[in-house]
Amino acid sequence: MKKTVMFIPALLLNVFLFAGGTKETPATGSKANTQKTIKIGIAKIVTHPALDEVERGTVDYIKQAGFNPVYDMQNANGDVNTAAQIASQYKQEKVDVAVAIATPIAIAFANSIKNIPVVFGTVTDPIGAGLVSTYDHGEGNVTGMCDANPTEQQITLFREITGIKTLGYIYTSKEASSVSTLKQIEAVCTKLGLKLEVQTIQSSSEVKQAAETMVNRCDGIYLSTDNTLFSALPALVDVFNRAKKPIFSIDLTTAKNGGCFMAHGFNWYKTGLATGEVVVRILKGEKPAQIPVRFMTKNDDFELLFDLDQAKSCGITIPQKYLDQANYLIENRKLTTKK
Amino acid sequence: MIQGILIEGLIYGIMVLGVFMEFRILNFCDMTVDGSFPMGACILAACLTAGLPPLFALLLAFAGGLIAGVITSLIYTRLRIPDLLAGILTMTMLYSVNLRIMSNKANVSFLKIPTVFSGITKYMETAVPQISSDWGLVLFLILTVAVLKGILDLFFHTDFGLTMGALGANEQMVVSQGVNPQTVRMIGICLGNGLAALSGAFAAMYNGFADVGSGTGVVVSGLASLMLGEFVLRSNHIGLQTLRVLIGSAIYRGLMFFGRSYGYKVGLTSNDLKLITGLLIILCLALSNVNLFTFIKEHTTRPPKSGCCKTGAGDVS
Repeated sequence: MKKTVMFIPALLLNVFLFAGGTKETPATGSKANTQKTIKIGIAKIVTHPALDEVERGTVDYIKQAGFNPVYDMQNANGDVNTAAQIASQYKQEKVDVAVAIATPIAIAFANSIKNIPVVFGTVTDPIGAGLVSTYDHGEGNVTGMCDANPTEQQITLFREITGIKTLGYIYTSKEASSVSTLKQIEAVCTKLGLKLEVQTIQSSSEVKQAAETMVNRCDGIYLSTDNTLFSALPALVDVFNRAKKPIFSIDLTTAKNGGCFMAHGFNWYKTGLATGEVVVRILKGEKPAQIPVRFMTKNDDFELLFDLDQAKSCGITIPQKYLDQANYLIENRKLTTKK
Repeated sequence: MIQGILIEGLIYGIMVLGVFMEFRILNFCDMTVDGSFPMGACILAACLTAGLPPLFALLLAFAGGLIAGVITSLIYTRLRIPDLLAGILTMTMLYSVNLRIMSNKANVSFLKIPTVFSGITKYMETAVPQISSDWGLVLFLILTVAVLKGILDLFFHTDFGLTMGALGANEQMVVSQGVNPQTVRMIGICLGNGLAALSGAFAAMYNGFADVGSGTGVVVSGLASLMLGEFVLRSNHIGLQTLRVLIGSAIYRGLMFFGRSYGYKVGLTSNDLKLITGLLIILCLALSNVNLFTFIKEHTTRPPKSGCCKTGAGDVS
C-alpha cells in the first residue's frame, strides 16, 4: 500500500521532467491538482473491519473528487499511548490534512496539532470529547464527522416491531463511544417507558458470559458501536438465538452473516465517504472552523436488514411496510439484497 | 521528531525508573505497573474535572501509585503469592478501580480543561512564538526528571537506600543486619508504582486524554527501555544506572518513531510495530545473557514465610 502510493508521485514527477517541465502534468483525475503534492495522514486506533472500511471510504472519496494525494497511513495497534507519537510525526511531515479515526486519536491530534487541519472520523460524541463546542461549525483547526446513531429512532422501531418491555445493552467499559451511547439509551428508555438492563465487559472473551447473564433478564438486546463486542458477536448471537430472543444491531456488516433479528445502521464505507467529504472541502480551501460537523442523517446513508429465520423462531411478525423498506433480507440462511 | 522523542522518552522514563527500582534493585517482577500507570492518568483526570489545581492532582496521582504498591506487597508478603501473580492481581483489580475513579467513563478529554502542559504550551506560544512550543515541554520535563533522578540518587546513597540495593542481591544479608526485608521491599514497590502513576499522569497530559486502556503493554515497554539502557551503558554506579534508564527510554521511543516513520522503506507497516518491539526485547535479553528459565522459575514460586532468602533452595516451606 505504502509503496504504491509513494510510487504515484514519483511517476508523476518523471512525466513532468520528461515533458520538459513547462506543460501541465497529465493527471489521472480530470481536475487533479498536481502542482504541489498533497499529503494526507490517516491514523486509526486499531485494524478492525469497520475502521478499515472508513479508511477505504475516505480515500475513495478524495480520489473521486479528483485529488491524488500521497498518504501516510498509521495505526496505533490499539495502544492509545502511541496516538501522540503519530500526531508528532504528522506535524513533522507537514501533512496537509490529518485524519483521525476513533476518539482517542482525535483528541491526541486536536491536543498537539495546532496549525494543520485535523479531521476526525467516526467520533460518537465530539462535544463530550472536547473536540468542538458546537455541531454548527468546527473549532480552530478541527472539524469532522460524527457517527452517533439515531438511538431513539432505532429503539422506538425495535420496540414497535418486537413489543419488548425490557431492553438489554452490553458494552465495553473502556470504549468511550459505548459509554456515551449508554447515556442516550438511558434517556430514550425512560422516555419510552422501557426497563433497561446493562452488562459491561472488558474484553471480547467476556462476551459469552455477559450474554448468558443478560439473556434471561431482557426481552431483546440493542448493540451499539462497540468494537470489542462486535469482534465476539458470534458468541452473543448463539446465546440469544438459542433463547429465541431478538437482537437489534447497528452493524450491517456482521449482521449479514445471520443471527441478528434486525440491523439498522450506516454502512461504514459511507461514513468514510462522509469523512472524505470534509477532507475535500478543506483541500478546496475552506477553513475547518467554518465546516459544520458532518452527521449521517440522509436516509440513504442507512441500511435496514431483517433476518426472517430469526423472526420466525422468535415468533415475531414484521409489518409489511418495514419489509418493503429493507435493503437486505435473510431467509433460509440466504442473504438477498433488495436495493 | 526530536522533540517528540525527548518528551516521550522523559515521560515514560519516569515509569522506567519505577520499573528499574522494582525489577533491578529489588529483583521483584511487578506487573502492577500496567495498572498503576493508567491509575495516575485516571486520578489526574478526576482531579482536573473536579477543578483541583494541576500540581495537587499530580501529587495525588503519585499517592495513588503508592497505594497500589502497598496492595501488591501485602499480597506478596502476607498471602505469600508469587510476585508475578501478586502484580497481575493488583493490575486486574485496578482496572475496575480506575473506571470508578473516572466515574465509569472510559476516556476523559483534557481539550477543554487546563493542564500543566497546556499552560506551558500557551505560554510558549505567546512568549516565544518563533520556537516550537514542544521545546517548552522538553525543558519542563528535563527539569522535572532531573529533580526526580536527583532525589532517587540521594535516596540510594542513604543507609536505607543501600539496604534496599542489597535486598535484591542478597536478602539474607539484610536479615542479618537486623532489618525487616518486607518493610524495605514494600517501600521500594510503593515508590516504583508511585513513579509509574506519575508517569501515567504526565502521559495523559501529553496525549490530551486519560484512557483506562492506556496501561496495556507498559511494563513490556519499560523492560525494553531498561534493557536497551543497560546495553548502551555498563556501570555499577547508581547515578549512571538511573541515567541509563532515561537514555534507554529515549532510545526505545526513538526506535518506535523511527520504525513508524521509515519502516515502510523495508516493507514494514505500522501493523508490524509490536513484532519489532518483541524482537527487540528478545535481542536485548539474548545479548545480556539473562537465563530465561531461572528468571521465570524465580518469579513464579511462592515467597518464603518470612525473612529468608528468596532464591535459597531448601528453606522454602
